[in-house]
Amino acid sequence: MLKEELEVTAFFARIDIKEDEKEKYLADINKMFNYVEVLQEPDVMGLKPTTHVTELRNVWREDIVKPSPRDVIDQMLNSAPSKEGTFYKIKKVVV
Amino acid sequence: MNNEILKIKVKELKIKICSCEIKSEDVIKVCFGYIKKVEPKVKAFLKLNDDQSLKQAEKVDNKLKSGTKCGLLEGIPIGIKDNIMIKGETMTSASKYLENYVSPYDATVIEKLKDAGVIFVGRTNMDEFAMGGSTETSAYQKTANPWNIERIPGGSSGGSAAAVASGMVPFALGSDTGGSVRQPAGFCGIVGYKPSYGLISRYGTCALASSFDQIGTFAKNVTDAALLTSVIAGKDYRDPICEPNECIDYVNDIDNPNSLKTLKIGVPKQIFDYKVDSEISKYFNDAVNKIKLALGEVVEVDIPAYKYVPALYNVIMCAEVSANIATFDGIRYGYRSTNGINLNDEYTKSRAESLGYEVKKRILFGTHVLEAKNYHRCYHQAQKVRTLLINQIIDAYKKCDFIFSPATLQMPVKFGEMLPQECDIFLIAANLAGLPGITVPCSFTSIGMPMGVHFMGTRFSDVKLFKVARLFEKISEFDINKYPTFDLT
Repeated sequence: MLKEELEVTAFFARIDIKEDEKEKYLADINKMFNYVEVLQEPDVMGLKPTTHVTELRNVWREDIVKPSPRDVIDQMLNSAPSKEGTFYKIKKVVV
Repeated sequence: MNNEILKIKVKELKIKICSCEIKSEDVIKVCFGYIKKVEPKVKAFLKLNDDQSLKQAEKVDNKLKSGTKCGLLEGIPIGIKDNIMIKGETMTSASKYLENYVSPYDATVIEKLKDAGVIFVGRTNMDEFAMGGSTETSAYQKTANPWNIERIPGGSSGGSAAAVASGMVPFALGSDTGGSVRQPAGFCGIVGYKPSYGLISRYGTCALASSFDQIGTFAKNVTDAALLTSVIAGKDYRDPICEPNECIDYVNDIDNPNSLKTLKIGVPKQIFDYKVDSEISKYFNDAVNKIKLALGEVVEVDIPAYKYVPALYNVIMCAEVSANIATFDGIRYGYRSTNGINLNDEYTKSRAESLGYEVKKRILFGTHVLEAKNYHRCYHQAQKVRTLLINQIIDAYKKCDFIFSPATLQMPVKFGEMLPQECDIFLIAANLAGLPGITVPCSFTSIGMPMGVHFMGTRFSDVKLFKVARLFEKISEFDINKYPTFDLT
C-alpha cells in the first residue's frame, strides 16, 4: 500500500488520518498484507467461496404492523448526539 | 457467610437459594464484598451494579418466600461482557465511541437470563469492539490475569474470564469471533465454550465479524457452562442465522458417557509445525496419554490448511469489521465530533477521534481488501481458502469425533508484549468452520499459571462436546476448586 492508496482507503472508510499518523498505519497495514500473501499459495481451483457456514435463508413473519413502544423511540432519540423533536439533527447536506 | 459460597457449583447454589436454605441477598452481599477486595487488583469490571443487584436479590427472596416457581438460575450472580445489551444500562464495547450509550432493548440472551432469574452484577472489560486478544485495547482499563497480575488475561473477553477465574462471579457471558472466549478461558484456567455457529442468538450484541461471531459462556467447571448454555441457546427470529433448533438441556445427561462409547479423538499433526511452549507441549502430551488410557482411541489427523488460518482470518474478519463498524457514524448515537465543518467531515472526525488505533487499522485494512482492485486477489481468494479449510476439517472428522489440541500454543505474556499470530489457530479454525469448541483447564505450569486444552466438535455436536469436556475434566488433575490468591492487605 502506498501513501496515496492509504488516503483513498481512509476516505472510503470515513476515517480522518493526520499526516503524522500515516507512516505508522502504512507500516502496520503493509505488514498485514505481507502476512496474508500466503493465501496465494494453495490451489483453490474449482472451490466455491464460503461466505457463511450456514445456508442463509429468509426469515419470514406475518406482515402485521406493530406499534413501536414509545419508550424505545424516546430511548433511541435520547442516544442521539443532536436532535430536534423526533428527528436526528445533522449538518446541512444540500447547500 | 464467607466467599466460599461463591465457589460451589451453580446447580447446587441454585438449589440452596430456591429451597430458601440461603438468601440470594446474602449471596449478592458476599459477592460484592469479595469484588470490592479483589477488583482493584484484577480490574475485570467496567461497571458494577451494587444497589440494583441487591434490590433484585431481595425481590428474588420475596418471590421465593411467597412460593413462586424458581427460575433456572434464580438469584445467581453473573458478569456480562460489555458488548451485550441490557435495557436501560450503558454498553460501551470498551470504546470511547459508545461511552454514554444506553441500550434501548435487551439482547435475546439477556431476555432469557432475566426469565431465568439471574442477577447482573456488572459489565466486564474487553478489547475495544472485541478487537484484540489481550483486553489491552480497551479504551478504559487493563484487566490483569488473576493468576499473575503482571500478565494479560487474554481476550477479547478478558474481563469475563478474569472475573470468573478470580471467583468474583460463578459464571459470565462473552463473545467469540476468533477465540475470544476460549483463549482467555485457557489463559485464566477456566472453562470457555463457543457454540456451533447459529446455536445462540446474537440479537442485541455488538457485531464484529458476522460470519464468525457467537456468544459464548465462561464457568469454573463444564457443568456450569453447560447449564448457562441451556438457558441462552435456541432459535430466535431476530437473528437470521439462528438455527431453528428447539431448546436443548445440555446438563441433564452430561455425566452419562454412554453415547461416547467408541470415542475417537483426533490430534492434528500440524501442532508440531509450530513453536509450542515446552510446558504446554509436555502437559498436552500427558493429556493425550490420559485420554488413550481412560477415554478412547487417539488418531492423528492431517489438516494442512491450518497453515492459512491466521491469514485467512485476518482478511475476512477485517473485511467484515469494515462493514459492521460503518454503522458508527456519529449521527444516531455515540460520539459526534464538534470539529466537523460539513456532514462528511463530521463522519471522518467522529470516527477518528473516538475509535482506537487497533480498530481503525482493521477498518482500513478491511476496506482496502474489499476495494475493486484487491477484491478478487485478497477477499475472494480468502473465502475460497476458507472452503479448502472446511473441506479438510470435514475429511478429518471421517477419522475422529473430536479434534483435540492445546487451547493456545503459548502462555499469557506480560502487558505490552505480543503473542505470535499462530498462538490460537486451533481456536480460530472453529470460527472459520462454524464449529463448536470448548477450552477445559488441564494443568498448572511451573510459573503457577494454568494451561488449557481445546476440544472441537462437528457442527451441532454441542451436547456431545460438553460430555467429552466433562469426561476430560474428571480425568484431568487440574483442581477446579483452586482459586488464585491475592495480597489483600
